[in-house]
Amino acid sequence: MGGAPSAPFPLEVQGLTVHYGGRIGVERLSFRVAPGEIYGLLGSNGAGKSTTMKSIVGLLSPDAGTVRVFGLDPRVDGVEAKRRTGYVPETPLLFDALTPWEFLEFVSGVREIEPEAAARRVERYTEALQLTAELHQPIAVLSAGAKQKLLLVAALLHRPPLLVLDEPFHSLDPRSVRIGRELLRQHATEGRGAVLLSTHTMEVAERLCDRVAILDRGRLVGEGTVAALREANSGSLEQAFLRLTREEEGVRAAVRSLGSE
Amino acid sequence: MSGPLRAAWHIQRPLYRELAYETIYGVPLGNLLPNVPPEELGRRGVRRVAQSKLLVAGLIAFLSAGTALLLTPTVRRLLVPSLPAPLFETTVVGALLALELTLIWWTALQLVPTFLTSPIFPNLELLPIPEKVRTRAALLLFLRLFDVQVLAALLFTPLCVGAALASPLAGLALLPGLVAVAILAMALSLATGRFFVRHVRGSPGGGRRTLVRWTYLLLWAIPAFALYGFISFGPRLVFALSVLVGHGPSVGIDALFAVFPLPLSAAPALAANGGSLDLGPGPLPFLFVGLGALAYGLLTVAAASWLWSGPRALATAQSGGAPAETPAAIPFVRRSPARSVLTKDLRVASRIPGYAFLILLPLLDAVALGLFTVVSAPGPAATYRIALAAVATSGLVATFFGPAFFATELVGYAYTRVLPLTDRSLVLGKLYLVVGLYLTAGATVLAITLVRLFEPLPFAAFVLSELPAVAAAALLELGVLTWVARRRGLPIANLYSGSFTVVAVALPGLFASGAPLLYFLVAGGSDPLLAAGRMALLALAELGAAATFCYLAARPGSR
Repeated sequence: MGGAPSAPFPLEVQGLTVHYGGRIGVERLSFRVAPGEIYGLLGSNGAGKSTTMKSIVGLLSPDAGTVRVFGLDPRVDGVEAKRRTGYVPETPLLFDALTPWEFLEFVSGVREIEPEAAARRVERYTEALQLTAELHQPIAVLSAGAKQKLLLVAALLHRPPLLVLDEPFHSLDPRSVRIGRELLRQHATEGRGAVLLSTHTMEVAERLCDRVAILDRGRLVGEGTVAALREANSGSLEQAFLRLTREEEGVRAAVRSLGSE
Repeated sequence: MSGPLRAAWHIQRPLYRELAYETIYGVPLGNLLPNVPPEELGRRGVRRVAQSKLLVAGLIAFLSAGTALLLTPTVRRLLVPSLPAPLFETTVVGALLALELTLIWWTALQLVPTFLTSPIFPNLELLPIPEKVRTRAALLLFLRLFDVQVLAALLFTPLCVGAALASPLAGLALLPGLVAVAILAMALSLATGRFFVRHVRGSPGGGRRTLVRWTYLLLWAIPAFALYGFISFGPRLVFALSVLVGHGPSVGIDALFAVFPLPLSAAPALAANGGSLDLGPGPLPFLFVGLGALAYGLLTVAAASWLWSGPRALATAQSGGAPAETPAAIPFVRRSPARSVLTKDLRVASRIPGYAFLILLPLLDAVALGLFTVVSAPGPAATYRIALAAVATSGLVATFFGPAFFATELVGYAYTRVLPLTDRSLVLGKLYLVVGLYLTAGATVLAITLVRLFEPLPFAAFVLSELPAVAAAALLELGVLTWVARRRGLPIANLYSGSFTVVAVALPGLFASGAPLLYFLVAGGSDPLLAAGRMALLALAELGAAATFCYLAARPGSR
């Protein structure tokens, strides 16, 4: 996949290194995401997916390396980079004291979206994700799934050319996952938006991602299309993942020990 | 200690640490944790809660000592020589009890919502622990929210009252009243905390609900006003009593003894004065005291019985908010980023008392000033004096509360940081709030005093003359905060936690808002209108300087 040679990529990460709490979060990570591409970050817990995403949206400062969002350095042109980005964090930390409707109105105001367009999109997305009934409840009392849907709506509200989604489906029911996948697919194909998403779920990666990167303890250990990774590791994406993260033998031993009691 | 109680005591200890941690760090609100080891976070949470409790305990001790000073015969004879000593003592001790009730109730209310919504208790229900032990553990944990404050009240108040009345028996006689006050304060905390969780923080959107929220918050802010009210209204109350008593014995005065908390505070006076209330020969005062004490005693027993199992029952219910009304298709309103920040702040404040307090306190103060003006009925010549008082109060709003509005950014801060919100939009949003509050407070005083004040135009002109200085103070403080944040490489929302920063930004703000007022005080004697005009010029110059500084400190492209 490639964008126009002269135009900057929606996202370019070069040699990204982040130490977090004295440990390596990410080390010398490089990848880029093209317009219209859905790029998946796969990895076990603590592999560095969320650290990478937080560095991209400016919540963490890299110790080394660069992040470019449409050629902009988020540390220097933070506001401009944020205008072009929609973000769903791993944990739904929101304004508990607002209702979803109040929260979305705040987001649309800060992002300077036309009120009519914002309201239209909110109506469309919340109906599709079955969130309409919760629009006037305080966020504090929403379920984890409803908060996740709200974050997805907020991220899509300004039709960003780059979406950064940290485990966007992890609390959603199967119907909402299906709708969410469709929304992302439309965003990428019709809007030529770039999507970076992290997931634990191999099925999501297989069905949605054009390319995936596999992270292990902060390092990139595999990258390519799902088909290419499957082929190179002669099996399913899960097998490829376990092989590349050197977990195959560990999983087999754990399964054996479970059966031995 | 019985078996279940001992088991409950062991269980509540780690739970208390968890509760302190949840209260102090507010992680669910999006606050970031400091980069310290996890065990230190727990310790730090416990330490901060203890500091807060010690502060209230210190205040209770201070108030008790102050009351003791008031109770001395010399001070009484100086203040109200005509008021019988038992009545004076009952009233003063009663005021102290009322203050202690509001202090204990109000400060615990900061912790009770966390107690009621913490996942601690639902998780405890899943463990194989007998129900009796779980109920006791919840009760012990709840009582620990009040321990230091209640102990301070039980210790210092009888000591001070006993010493002032030169009667250890008088001090001891106050103990039942203090116990009742403590139990009632705890019950009030639990009940209002529950109401808060359901109908304020958990309140759905919509006009009627918004009104309920702000009404609750207004009532919530009034106890916080207690100290101010005690100082402002206390002497007036005593003088009013003195006038009433001067008219001779009456059922009205006797009936006063049934008003809370006077039946509870009459005991020390009775003990110190040989069982006399010195209000004439009839038995009515004693009857009212007895009936009142019985009624409040029964109420206390009911409250204690509810507290026995109430904390666990309410903390495990975790129902969240009231059911939402049918969603209405409300259109989005077009707002600039700065106005979006302002609207968001007002909405957040309408569900979080700490922030609502910042908004309501200056308005309550304006109402109090207005009412005092109406009651004292000054002539038209007092226009400038009243206006000066009104703008001085509102000037304090800008000085102390302007930067505090930054603290609202801590709510949902993790999300706001990923939005393209510039420093300038953020600063402007907070400035709108400060200026809006100042004008509303000024308008409130004007509206209330219109009945007695015959020169509304000079009053309004005076308020407007100070407006640029208030804006300058807010801009200066917000600019300093932004500048410090940039130097430290922090998001500005994360700054307000440092007490040094609070002081550092408050001083220039105090100067900016106070300088024009000071000028008027010095030069306004002969020609107030001319002095007000010059004051406006000075305020405008300050605004120009502060705006330039803030413009440079809060660059558009960074946050």
